[in-house]
Formats: sequence, C-alpha cells, structure tokens
Amino acid sequence: MSSKPQALTSIGPMRAFAANSKKIAVELIEINENLVGFNQYMTEYYKQLSNTWGIAQKKVNLKAPKIPQDAEQIEAVKRIWIDIFDNDFTELFDSKKFGNNYGNLVSKELELTKHWNNITNVILQSVNLPSKEEIDEVYKEIHSLKKRVSKLELELKKEKRKNAK
Amino acid sequence: MLNESRIDPKIIEEVLKFSKNVIDAPKFVSAPDEINLEVTPHKVVQEIDKTRLLHYKPVIETKHKTPLLISYALINRFHILDIHPEKSWVRNLLEQGFEVYMLDWGTPTSMDKYLDFDDYVNGYLDSSIEFIKNKSSTEKISLQGYCTGATIATAYTALHPENVKNYIATAPVIDGWKDTTVISNLAKHMDADKMVDTIGNMPPEFMYYCFSVLKPFEQGIEKYIKFFKNIDDKKFVDNFLRVEKWLGDTPPIPGELFKQWIKDIYQENLLIQNKMYVADQLIDLKKIDMPMFTQVAVGDHLVSPECSMPLHYAVGSTDKTLKIYPTGHVGMIASSLSQKKVLPEMGKWLAERS
Repeated sequence: MSSKPQALTSIGPMRAFAANSKKIAVELIEINENLVGFNQYMTEYYKQLSNTWGIAQKKVNLKAPKIPQDAEQIEAVKRIWIDIFDNDFTELFDSKKFGNNYGNLVSKELELTKHWNNITNVILQSVNLPSKEEIDEVYKEIHSLKKRVSKLELELKKEKRKNAK
Repeated sequence: MLNESRIDPKIIEEVLKFSKNVIDAPKFVSAPDEINLEVTPHKVVQEIDKTRLLHYKPVIETKHKTPLLISYALINRFHILDIHPEKSWVRNLLEQGFEVYMLDWGTPTSMDKYLDFDDYVNGYLDSSIEFIKNKSSTEKISLQGYCTGATIATAYTALHPENVKNYIATAPVIDGWKDTTVISNLAKHMDADKMVDTIGNMPPEFMYYCFSVLKPFEQGIEKYIKFFKNIDDKKFVDNFLRVEKWLGDTPPIPGELFKQWIKDIYQENLLIQNKMYVADQLIDLKKIDMPMFTQVAVGDHLVSPECSMPLHYAVGSTDKTLKIYPTGHVGMIASSLSQKKVLPEMGKWLAERS
C-alpha cells in the first residue's frame, strides 16, 4: 500500500515530473555545495582588499601631516593618499595570490551559473522548448554555414578581380 | 581660554565652490545619448554580419596613393580614434592627405559566440582589404592595428603579406608572458573554457571590472573630483563626457575568439613563439617583411611596452622603426601629444612609403 503513491510518480504523465524534480533537487544541492566554496573565495577577496587598505592607510598616516592647515596641504595629503593607495592596490591586483583567488572566485560563480542554466534547461524541456545546448547547436551550424558562404563569396571576388586584370 | 582651531578661509571657499559645482552639474552635463562620437564625416561602404567598413571623407586632396585601413581594438569602440575634432587620429591623417578606412567590429550577440580568430583575420579583415583594393585599384594597402586590433592585424599581415604595403602596430598585444599589467595577471588565472562554455560571449561587465582595478583611486576618485572642479569649463566637460561615454560602451567579445585570445596570447604565449594557429594556418611573424612602424607608450597600463616591443624584433622586416612615447594607452592616440608628435612622426614615415 505504502509504495503506491511512489509508483504513481514513475508512470504516465507524472514520470517526467518526478524525473525533473529529481534533476532540479540535485542541482539545488550542488548549488549549496558551490556556495560554500564561493563564499570562501569571496571572503578571501575582501580580506585581501581590506588588508591592503589597512597597510596603505598606515603608510599615508606616516607620510602625511597630522592635520592639514591649508588648502595646499589638503591637496598634498590627497596626492599622497591617492599615490600610496594606487601603488599598493596595483601591487595586490598584480600579485599571484590575488590572481589565483580571483580566478577561483570567478570559476565558482560560473559553476553557480551553470547549475542555474541546468535548472532552466529542465524547465524549458518540460514545456517543449529547446534547451541552451540545442540552441547552441543551431548557432554553431549557422556560424559554420555563414563562414562557408563568406569564404566562397570572398574567393569569388578575388577570382573576378584576377580575371579582370 | 578657548583653544581655537584656525581653518584656512581658502579651504572653506573651495568646499563651498565644490558643493556648488556638484549642485550645478546637471545644468552643464548632457545626457550620454546626446553626445555624438562619430565626428569625422564618413560613409559605410561595406557591411558584413555586424561589422562595418567606414570610409572617411577627405578634408584635403588625397596626396598618397596607398589607402590606410585601421583595425581598431575589440575592447570599447573605434570612436576613441575620432573622439573630438581637435584630438581626432582619423582627422589628423586626413589632413596629412591619407585616404583612411576604419573597420568597426560592431556588437556581437549570443548568436556570434562561435566567431573565432579565423573569422576576424581571414573573414572580416580580409574582406575589408579586398574591398579597398578593388575600390582604389591598388594591389597593397597600408594597415594600422591598435591594441587588440593590432594582434588581429599582425596575424593578418603574417598570413597575407602580399596585401600589406606598410604595417603600423600601435600598442599591440603580442607577448603575453612579458605583459606586466593587472589585466594580464587576471587573464593568466582565468578559466576561459569554463567562462565561454557557461556564458557564451565575454560580457562587458567583466571588462568594466578590469578597468576598475586599473589605478582605482586616480581613476575612481581624483578623475571625478577634477570633473566637478572644472564643471563650468565647457571644453573640459565636453572632452570628459566624450571619453566617459566611450569608456562605458564596451561590446561583448565573441566566446571562441576570447577563449583563443586568453589561452594563446596570455596563458601559453604562442604568438611571439611562432606557434599560434589561425584555423589551420601557422602564424610566422618572420613572414612580416614589409616596412613596419611600432608605437608603444611607456605609461601604458593596459598593454605594457614589454608586451608590445617584442614584435619589432620578431618580424622579418629590414625597414622597421620602433617609437616609444612618454604617455599612456589612450594618450598615445587621443591627446595633444598624439596630435603634435605621434601622428606627425607616423604620417612622415607612412608618406615616404605610400
């Protein structure tokens, strides 16, 4: 008796619904796993920014006068602040540790997007619409045909010019 | 006795003036769509897919027989080469008596994600050169490439040297491993396959992020302080808005092209090692044997001189010139220095060979 409601979902029109629900549930679980990794890289990203900010600000404090007395001094402090911050942040953005972490952060973000795409594909297919992969195949075919036609047209033009000489 | 702190009246005056300028700004600033960036008259002479070939109207009688085609970068748009009548790269060349064409790559959509190096080099660029050859009844043209447009032009020139009489490479992206810029660091750590497989084309937002990490405090704060300080200077505001509009208008980069770019140029550095393929053709830089003129800027923080200069030494040309200018990536093409020094020097070199 207890297996009857479950059996219902595996036959007839409910079969697709059950399969789709499972796919979506799996994607959602994986999204949660990815979010953990994404948050780790995101935390590291802001940690790097905030550490650099702190160090740069200390450098500014050492170099700039305590309280600027006139407009020229304010301008000088601003210049020191911008130069030190630009140098320190450029050094950070140029570093391997930033590049690695940023690359991983973007990669995790892309994985999240991929799961979202997969969920959308399940929904699209459930309403008989082409999935992203199917649309991509069409784009690829159109690109390949256009390329062949363009090359033939160009060859023809070159040939005509040769013959005209 | 009270301990009074003295505030320089000049500071109060400046703060008040700055605040007034911020309030007045909407009166002086036009909406971005009111700024027309296409300043020099031109005709669209050929359109293929989303690309347009522009032919500029001469301003004096054309003095030189060989027409010049400019292959602009894939990032932002060609308008920077014609940003303002007084700073226009194109106009200056027209005034020197050259016949000038420009290839506008257009705005790729999701449908264009499979466009690759082959489409740009052997498709759009080759078709444009074929058109110009037909139109001007010449066998060879002069080609100038700027930034990433110079990478495409370099690949073209190596594969079709018979069509190029003179080659000018302005801040070309060539040796990815020697590039010391922040952009190169991000590119080296990027999973280009995953990006393209997931989102198709390289989105403009990613480029905006790259721009935002280039001198973030000078560009993100000081630049706008200067803008508000000079809000009543019509010429300054006009120039500022033109450049801002240009900066904020980046088209996506087709996925396959972007993928090959990141992997072949920045990660594996194949171009300078003569190991890069476009379709099934190997790019051998030694095949570039025509007169060549390379322009680099010492302060270039988008394409460092170390990334561009190796081209000068790698080509097969015997007649070659390398010029280094004390400016930046944009300063080299749209500034008073470019009008007074960069363009006259390039024009003189080109005139002697056209």
